[in-house]
Amino acid sequence: MASIPPKPENPLHLHTTKLTLGCPILDSFLGGGIPCGSITELVGESSAGKTQLCLQLLLSSLLPPSLGGLSSPSLYIYSEPPFPLRRLLRLSLPSLPPRPLDHIFVRPAHSADDLLSLLSHLPDSLPVRLIIIDSIAALFRSEFDNTPRDLKSRSSLFFKIATKLKDRARKLGAAVVVTNHVVDVVEAECGGARCLWSSGRRVVPALGLAWSHCVNTRVFLTRSEGMVRRSNGEECEVRTRRMHVVFSPCLPERSCEFAIVGHGVLGVG
Amino acid sequence: MEISCLPISASHRAKLLSAGYTTLSSLSSVSPPQLSRDLNVALQEAVDILKVSSESCRVEVQDGAVEFCKGAQTAWDMLSEEQALRHISTGSGDLDSILGGGIHCKEVTEIGGVPGIGKTQLGIQLAINVQIPYDFGGLGGKAIYIDTEGSFMAERAYQIAEASILDTFDNFGCQLKEIPEKLKAESFLANIFYFRICSYTEQIALINYLDQFLVEHKDVKIVIIDSVTFHFRQDFDDLALRTRVLGGMSQKLMNLAKKFSLSVVLMNQVTTKFTEGSFHLTLALGDSWSHSCTNRVILYWNGNDRYAYLDKSPYLRPASVHFSVTGKGIRDATSQCKRVRMM
Repeated sequence: MASIPPKPENPLHLHTTKLTLGCPILDSFLGGGIPCGSITELVGESSAGKTQLCLQLLLSSLLPPSLGGLSSPSLYIYSEPPFPLRRLLRLSLPSLPPRPLDHIFVRPAHSADDLLSLLSHLPDSLPVRLIIIDSIAALFRSEFDNTPRDLKSRSSLFFKIATKLKDRARKLGAAVVVTNHVVDVVEAECGGARCLWSSGRRVVPALGLAWSHCVNTRVFLTRSEGMVRRSNGEECEVRTRRMHVVFSPCLPERSCEFAIVGHGVLGVG
Repeated sequence: MEISCLPISASHRAKLLSAGYTTLSSLSSVSPPQLSRDLNVALQEAVDILKVSSESCRVEVQDGAVEFCKGAQTAWDMLSEEQALRHISTGSGDLDSILGGGIHCKEVTEIGGVPGIGKTQLGIQLAINVQIPYDFGGLGGKAIYIDTEGSFMAERAYQIAEASILDTFDNFGCQLKEIPEKLKAESFLANIFYFRICSYTEQIALINYLDQFLVEHKDVKIVIIDSVTFHFRQDFDDLALRTRVLGGMSQKLMNLAKKFSLSVVLMNQVTTKFTEGSFHLTLALGDSWSHSCTNRVILYWNGNDRYAYLDKSPYLRPASVHFSVTGKGIRDATSQCKRVRMM
């Protein structure tokens, strides 16, 4: 049986395409945008802005490469119905092609096995270059107990799902974005993961250490409340939202402030 | 390989043995007319026998040396041996010193740690530093980088290469007016043989193929697998099978390290283990894997600082040291308390 020997690649030819977030400040913060070919995790508490950012990415992926897009349709897999259509309709970006919603494929996932089956049966001909899973945590919440056996089978599922996603990412040159929730930290446990403060709570990403090994980039969205004086002199309460790079193959740990306004997510610089 | 294994006719073999030629080396210094007299065969037959025996000599390779006459070595082998005595710098002098100078050749070193601690960064740094030219204290070798997780980014490797080259020149106090082609970051990147692996079967197939690849690319001095673990944490309901597969793989890697005088560096993940009533962080792949490597370094967080702990070494004491990951790559920590702590 003849086998083809594997061929090495030359890193000089391995350029990483980045998908714009639709805001130059956020793009610069993330070294150009969301990288293609690997898994980026957006983790944060509810209403931190994860879904909002994902919806924005659905639109920006339709932009031409000259504007930082991928000129390609995207796939949005949601695990917490309903699909946020109204929010998507409110977003807008300049230079979008006509009828952008025609290029966004949407599919619910009911469980981890459902997701795995979905990913296994994606037709190779589907030219999506952005895959979003919002959220991965909801798929694992109810099914598993805390017994060692269940934890092992749960962690095996993480790696299976991550492998399928990375395969797609590599074959299609796609960006994969996965959102995750947070859990409160019990003092003794904060060994493996670094914790962050959000809304006055010490939190770590859900799904534990095994899942942390499955993502390439982790971006933490946090928020805290305070008063801000607007440029017209008015004072109003604003949630300060910050985006933190927790780990990344090419970015240092850093954070930047962002805001969610009517038509999208913007960096504050 | 002895006379009995030579591909010659049985009668010739019998004549050789009865004439006293029992080893290949005894044939290496005899002339054809002499042999034809001793064996009582035609001159042409003697020439043929000597030809077959000298070809068999060349095929048998011991440590890369062709033993045509005892004690001789090729210049390539001498250079290889000298290079093997050198260590590959990690970029951090403190980390190098607890490692006895750096990563050793002819050995397998395991590097484990939590996500984000710097395993991939260290892997890329080593793939670059192995290429530091011989005249500048490096090995002047090439690197094989086996990526199983997709964390290798060429832009980052370029950044690390640029910084490493500049720092090397600084250390030697030289200012080159014009950097030669082979000392540019682009050349350093081109000298990394990058393989992207998507399943454990691909991983094993590649490791089996490396023997052939390394014969064709003798200038490779480091093989990095980042991470060796990823594809083994799924699909293995039978843990005994996994242990066997991992054992076979680690044996092959150990043999490659020794045979080609290069270093093998394996990145490992961490997992939680429930022992003695509480959860502990431990390296993945189980207890039997812990015997698979010559050296083990564990990277961990101490507050907001990165530390490296030498957990296993045949001749160095356990020690831990503070290091940092900067835009330039792996470097010494710059804070005040950067003493090396001996255990």
